[in-house]
This record gives sequence, C-alpha cells and structure tokens, in this order.
Amino acid sequence: MKDMPDTNDAFLLLDDLTVEYHLSRRATVHAVSGLSVAVKRGETLGLVGESGCGKSSAARAVMQLPRPTRGRVVLDGQDLTTLKGSALQKARRQFQMIFQDPIASLNPRQTVRQILSAPLEIAGEQETTAERDARIIAMLDLVGLNGEQAIDRRPHEFSGGQCQRISIARALILRPELLVCDEAVSALDVSVQAQTLNLLEDLKREFGLTMLFISHDLAVVKHVSDRVAVMYLGMLCELADPDVIYRKPAHPYTRSLIAAVPAPDPDAPQREMQLVPGELPSPINPPSGCRFRTRCPLATDLCAQEIPMPRELAPGHRVACHHPLID
Amino acid sequence: MANKMQEVILEVTNQRTAFATGRGLLQAVDGVSFTLARGRTLGIVGESGSGKSVLSRSIMGLLPGTAITGPGSSVRLNGRELTTLPEKTLRGIRGREVAIVFQDPMTALNPTLTIGVQITEVLRKHLGMDRAAARERAVELLRSVGLPQPETRVDQHPHQLSGGMRQRVAIAIAIACEPDLLIADEPTTALDVTVQAEILDLLQTQVKQRNMAMILITHDMGVVAGRCDDVAVMYAGKIVEQAPVRALFRDTKMPYTAALLSSIPRITDAAHHRLDAIGGRPPDLINPPPGCAFAPRCRFAGPECNSAPPLAGEGHKFACWNPVKPKETAA
Repeated sequence: MKDMPDTNDAFLLLDDLTVEYHLSRRATVHAVSGLSVAVKRGETLGLVGESGCGKSSAARAVMQLPRPTRGRVVLDGQDLTTLKGSALQKARRQFQMIFQDPIASLNPRQTVRQILSAPLEIAGEQETTAERDARIIAMLDLVGLNGEQAIDRRPHEFSGGQCQRISIARALILRPELLVCDEAVSALDVSVQAQTLNLLEDLKREFGLTMLFISHDLAVVKHVSDRVAVMYLGMLCELADPDVIYRKPAHPYTRSLIAAVPAPDPDAPQREMQLVPGELPSPINPPSGCRFRTRCPLATDLCAQEIPMPRELAPGHRVACHHPLID
Repeated sequence: MANKMQEVILEVTNQRTAFATGRGLLQAVDGVSFTLARGRTLGIVGESGSGKSVLSRSIMGLLPGTAITGPGSSVRLNGRELTTLPEKTLRGIRGREVAIVFQDPMTALNPTLTIGVQITEVLRKHLGMDRAAARERAVELLRSVGLPQPETRVDQHPHQLSGGMRQRVAIAIAIACEPDLLIADEPTTALDVTVQAEILDLLQTQVKQRNMAMILITHDMGVVAGRCDDVAVMYAGKIVEQAPVRALFRDTKMPYTAALLSSIPRITDAAHHRLDAIGGRPPDLINPPPGCAFAPRCRFAGPECNSAPPLAGEGHKFACWNPVKPKETAA
C-alpha cells in the first residue's frame, strides 16, 4: 500500500498524522485519522472540508499546539514531534500561524509595537530598540499598513481587515518558512477578503513561503493553492491540483462539496449535490470502513468493511475511495 | 420583470434608523424604500455595517431602545402602518404576519425548552390552538421542514440537534402561523455549504408552497444569484442598486455592485487568479462624507459625486451619477 508519494522533496511532511481527544475513559474524538501529505518547498497546500473534518486539528498538530496523538510532522527534515522545550521553541521561528478571528488573536491591551516585538523577544533577537522599531515598521509597511502610524496604536483602532494584516505581520516578522493559515480570511467581508488574499499571494512570493491554507471555502482555497486536499470526518478524501479537483473531482464527497457552492451567477445551472440525506456522523464513533459511506450514493458493502486507502488515479491525483468517479 | 399585478405585502418608505453613540449619531439605515409583493423573494446584499440587518430589525420592530427612527419612516405590512403601533399590537403581528429566521439557530432557540414547546407556544398564542392540536401541528411542521423522526424529535432540546437541524426547527417556528412575510437574516451563514444548500432549498419551497413573500438577507452574492427574484444592494445604510436578479448580474450599473462582484473568489476562476479587490473601507457612518458614500473608493467618481445621487430608474434602479457602461460589467 503506497500512500506517500514524493516524500523526497517534501519540505513539510505529515506522516500518518492522528489527532485524538479523550473526552472520558470511553469516549474519544477521532479528529484526524492517519493523514499523510507532503508539501513541497514554496508550495501552498489548501486543506478544505466542512465543520468537524479535522482541518483545524491538523493545522494545530502541525504547529505542535497540541502535539498530535500519533504520527510525524517533518519540517525541513526535522521531526517536530520529537522536539522538546527550548529545541521546539527555537524551531518555532520556522513555522508560524494566523488564525480566523483577527481581533481575538491580538491582545487588546498591547500596542502594535508590543504585539510585533513578542516573537522577536521570544526568539531572543539581539537588537537595539531603534533597530527593532525599524524592523517592525518595515514589516507593517510590507503588509500594507502605514508602519509609522500603526506602531503605537492598539488593535481596537483598526478594522478587522487591518487587524488581520497585523496578525500576518506578527507571523512573518521572524521570516518563517512555513505559514499555517487557519480560516485566515473567513471572518472578513468579501472586499477585504480579496485584499487579504492578494496580500498573502504577494507575501508568499516575497518571502518564498510554504503555506498550509485551511478553509471551508472552496473558492478561496482555489485562489491560493497549488494543490488542494479535501477532508471528511478526519480523513483525507482527495488530493490534487486545483484545476483537476474542481473540474473532475474523483471522490463523491468532493463532487458534493463543489456542487453545493452557490455560484454568483443567476444563469449558472443548479447542480445536484448527490448526497444521501442525513447528518454528519459523530467523530466519536465514526462509521466503519469509509467514513463518508453513510452519505455516499455509491456506497456498497465493501465501503463498510474496508477503509479505502488513498491511491494514485493519475500522477499527483490521490483519492481514497473504493468507487472513484472516473467517467 | 416587476410583477405589478401581484398583491403588495410590504411597503417600506424612507426608513431611517439611527443609533446614539458616544461619538454622535450613527445613521445605520439612511432612507430606504422598497416594496415587496406576495410570492416574491427580495435579496438584500451588503457587507458588514451596510445596514441590512438593522433594516430587517426595523421592519420587525425589533430595534433596541437606543435606536432612533427618523421622521417620515414608514413600514406598511398588508397596508397597515407598523412604526406607530404599540408593542402589544406588534406582538400579535410578529410571528403571525411577519416572521424572522436568524443567523445562529443555537442562540435563536431557547436551550432550556424542548423544540416542541417552542413551536407550540407560537401556535397556541397566535392561533389559540389547544395543547394536543398544537402538538400535532408541531409534528406536522417539523416533518414539512424535513426533520427526520419528528414524533420523537419534538421532545428533544436544541443541543441534541445539529446546526442544520436547528435551523430547520427555527424555520418551522417561523412558518408555523403561515406569515405573509418571512425575513431570513443570513440564515445559512453559520452552516456548512452542503447544509446551506439544503436550507436554501427548504426556504425556497416553503415560500413557494405557502405563497409568502421573503426577504433574504446575505453577504453572499452566490446565495442571492440562485435564490431571489429581485436584489437590493446596500452600502453605508442605503440601497445603491435594486433590480431583478438577472439584470443586476448581467447589466450591473452601480460601480459598488460591480466591484463587489469582481472581488468574489469563484470556483470557476483559474487557480491563483488575482482578485480585483476594492481599495479602502466603507465610510464611518457617524460623520459620513457628503455625496455618494462609495465615491472615495470608486474609480468612476467625478466632482458630481459630491452630491448624493438618488436611487432612480424604472425596474432597474441605481444611485449613481456615473453608472458602469454595459461593456465594462464583469460577466
């Protein structure tokens, strides 16, 4: 069973990543189960799925916040799950994260100077106050804020979109190589969202970032990703280039997800979701075999018995399904 | 295709709603007028702070005490003026003639009561049903909104249901008394896309079956495109463009609408397609600049935009001195 293509040139490698939360002695939430993906240097991997699919848990496991229950997170050849204490703290300057809620992720009592100084202090950067200020101002300018003016202000003086820019500045000030964005534009209005997406694309080029971009919004993901992974109930369904996955989804869940996106066009044909009516099963007691089978119109007995392992349909196109949609 | 023959359910005229804040008066809704006929769905789109939700609360008479309704504001439902009615009379109208579905079904429902109690309350208060008849009707309603096993679900509490199911319950409560007007305020924003499609389908069929009028408030142009007859676009408390849905998308007049449409990421775009973002931010509604509120961000703005353009036009209305030429409209 080959479930790990191109691990050689992987900059970020998630290997059998498993995140479980223990609720009580008997109940365990299976948030992420055996997720394996490789992300190349400079690549953006979009991770999409609906609530409860484990995309945020996966992001946090990458950040070691908290550590995954099982599996490895290998960044630039180093397994982060084995690092402890100061070694992990030192490694953290390589990978940073931005969160969904731009206002809640900034301390309202701190000035922007304090907010952006924190990572520098933690990393133990030796520099004079003037050097530090210059560095902060330059970073703020880079994310499209007026650094000179912004540095002495507090978060409440900024709009949501500007706060998200401050978060981005904080994440990038240590010049990390990996940026994890967890629903980073979901709380923003469309016009601000577009500005932020464009900014992220520019910064990615400028900093040569590798990105893990998590979102529930398929259209947003398509705009920033080099490859897209679709998750359902803790498991990987499909992984491919955006053009492939949106045009010819091979996993029945991906097909439903794409069909459900309302097109901003009154003449767009209404697409059938092709979902068996019902509810998302509980991640405490996920279905046997394929986790999507309870909602899948193509499910057979095999799907209940055997977990479909991701397999390569075409180069770079992996699908975990017993009955993939191939013409 | 404005259907003038249809019975007009709702007539909003020059609605102005302001809030007193520490910095001064915030004009959240600034002179909004429109009518809505039976059987039609009007989409109201806008970004945060555009006034779309305050407008819906103004129609429902559900404004907080700090709200100030401007002189000359009028909301007529079935020919009756609502703005001057005492709260007691309004209570008899809300739920009965006009009902609302909110964004977050968890906070809209009472967590301490079974869903059965919450539906039957409406039926007993408004329609005077007895306990048994109301319960029977509640089960029927839950079935009609697609809740599986309504006979057992009726005795469950909201926390025992998923988000989508809760929204179905909220819709069941809203349509319980067959209101003439249903206001859905971001009804699917808190839901996943696959659930969103189901809930929008449900709203659409219920409106059709019961021949209601619906106001669908959303920030999502995609939701509006597929589910409305007419669309009103709001910006800084005003309707800046209003048209039948196809005209609004195909023959966009107001530069704000055009800019909004081209800033949306679409799944049909190529990967890494650069979005046409709107620069700047919406104006401060406490001391708004004179003239067109969008002018500072508008690439067509000229000196004439220093005076506010009226919302004008037959069928396709827009408030702009320099409307987008047909060819410049993004497809």
